[in-house]
Amino acid sequence: MSAIARWFGERVPIDPAALRELTNEPVPHHMKRWWFCLGGTPAYLFLVQIFTGILLAIYYQPSATTAYESVEHITRHVTLGWYFRSLHKWAATLMIATIILHQMRVYFTGAYRRPRELNWVIGMGLLLTTLGIGFTGYSLVFEQLSYWGATVGANIADRVPLLGSLAKQLLLAGDQYNADTLPRFFILHVAVLPGTLILLLAMHITLIRLHGVSEPEPADALRAEGRYFNFFPDHFYTELIMGLLLMIVLSMLATLLPATMGDKADPLTTPEVIKPEWFFYVTFRWLKLFGPTFAVLSMGFIVFAMIIWPWIDAALRRITGWKEISVYIGIVATMLLVGLTVWEGAVAH
Amino acid sequence: MAEHSDSSQAEDPGRRRFLAHGAVATGAMAGGLALGYGMFFRCAGQYLYPADEGTAWMFVTDVASLAPGKALSFTSPTGVAVVITRRSVVPGAGSQEAAADARPAADFLALSSVCPHLGCRVHWEPQNDRFFCPCHLGAFDADGRPTAGPPLAANQSLPQYPLLVENGLLYINMPVKPLDQMTYRVVESGGAGNQGQGAGGIERTGVEDDPARFCASPEPGDGGVV
Repeated sequence: MSAIARWFGERVPIDPAALRELTNEPVPHHMKRWWFCLGGTPAYLFLVQIFTGILLAIYYQPSATTAYESVEHITRHVTLGWYFRSLHKWAATLMIATIILHQMRVYFTGAYRRPRELNWVIGMGLLLTTLGIGFTGYSLVFEQLSYWGATVGANIADRVPLLGSLAKQLLLAGDQYNADTLPRFFILHVAVLPGTLILLLAMHITLIRLHGVSEPEPADALRAEGRYFNFFPDHFYTELIMGLLLMIVLSMLATLLPATMGDKADPLTTPEVIKPEWFFYVTFRWLKLFGPTFAVLSMGFIVFAMIIWPWIDAALRRITGWKEISVYIGIVATMLLVGLTVWEGAVAH
Repeated sequence: MAEHSDSSQAEDPGRRRFLAHGAVATGAMAGGLALGYGMFFRCAGQYLYPADEGTAWMFVTDVASLAPGKALSFTSPTGVAVVITRRSVVPGAGSQEAAADARPAADFLALSSVCPHLGCRVHWEPQNDRFFCPCHLGAFDADGRPTAGPPLAANQSLPQYPLLVENGLLYINMPVKPLDQMTYRVVESGGAGNQGQGAGGIERTGVEDDPARFCASPEPGDGGVV
């Protein structure tokens, strides 16, 4: 055994003690609670997405003439194809939901504050990239929602001053949806955006590791009580259990509510009732409430404010002297988010 | 705590039992984990392994249009090209082409054009009266028997497909997985309702949800093929 270890040690000169140090980060005790380690859940779901995504890409054909048929082929003919397609859909849904929950936890516990501002910014990048993957993902099925969602999405981009028209041209490969459009969505969905996500995730985790997990209570007191546990194997086991539970939940959802297929994309007919996936309900309702240009600009402003929130928070606290002002702003924003989502979900138009 | 350490010597069997139970529980958990993910990856394996979509009887032509001694080529929806020959000398089958009953097409021969050696496409050389494979110089006679090259060394004949004559029409039994997924659509929208009516062509030959329907043996005289 030691001979093998020596052989590897010579060729891969990593100090075992340093490796132990790297993997055995002391994890504060509050991380035993799922609410505080929610970030690991979307990371695990992302692995599920990579795996099921590779499986789906094996049968999927990214062209307007065959995309719908190939998804139907996966769903109806390929052994267990319905299961892996449904897993992919539900893992995407849960991934976005848990990212939002993780972000809310970070927000309401003030974990984005100095010195972790940049990790919040990276986190926002992760959220936006994931939403982009979600959007390009349901465009690939080439059902009515895929076609009209992409059309509306590109025209929303078109409203952005200066760069909007360029973005639309690049996204659609023309003024409107055409034969060159779907391959672009496919490449964004399977290569460009996941690649970006992996890079951002690596930066996110590196910064967490460098700063240590943020702690809601004074760290010294906790350390004195010995309320830390090792990342490996203790926290790893927690994640393993979470992973198994998630697989069970995903399998149940995939079996009970499998991914369906809408009508094939028809460029000549926009359906009477058309909605994006639930995670875009807010923006969809926002668009209906305000004129497109104002809605697009205000959404851009809100997203920008979210990105630089750590500094806005610091300024607000300094100016108002109110330490918890962000919490109350967060409560209002959450209510608005949930309210607009429910509103859009409840009505047909 | 002190109480436990005091009695630890005396309760050694108890501790041993506890450790044994712990080991069993750990093993069961690890086993469950392996089993759970094992099942998942087994599903993935099944997903990747191509599903057997069976074979189907496909309409080729009416018997009268293929004179004895002539051949025609037929390409299935799967993209497999077949050479169908009508033999000049009919071994014991008689001339029954107008008969209503379904019967094996003994006077016809359907040979795959795929060389059994390494899968290249053979072609008929009329001047040499043989099928020739350009990849490794394999050759076969008109009945598909190997005459030269690696197929002769390995005694590999050209694969044959079953043929059937019914109501004066010729049918062939071939794998049905199409080369193009679009074919699935064609079958589902247009071909499902009229199989067995001699509509012919690719439309009525593709896969549907129930492959068994296409694989069934023909019932003589039922007016249909499948």
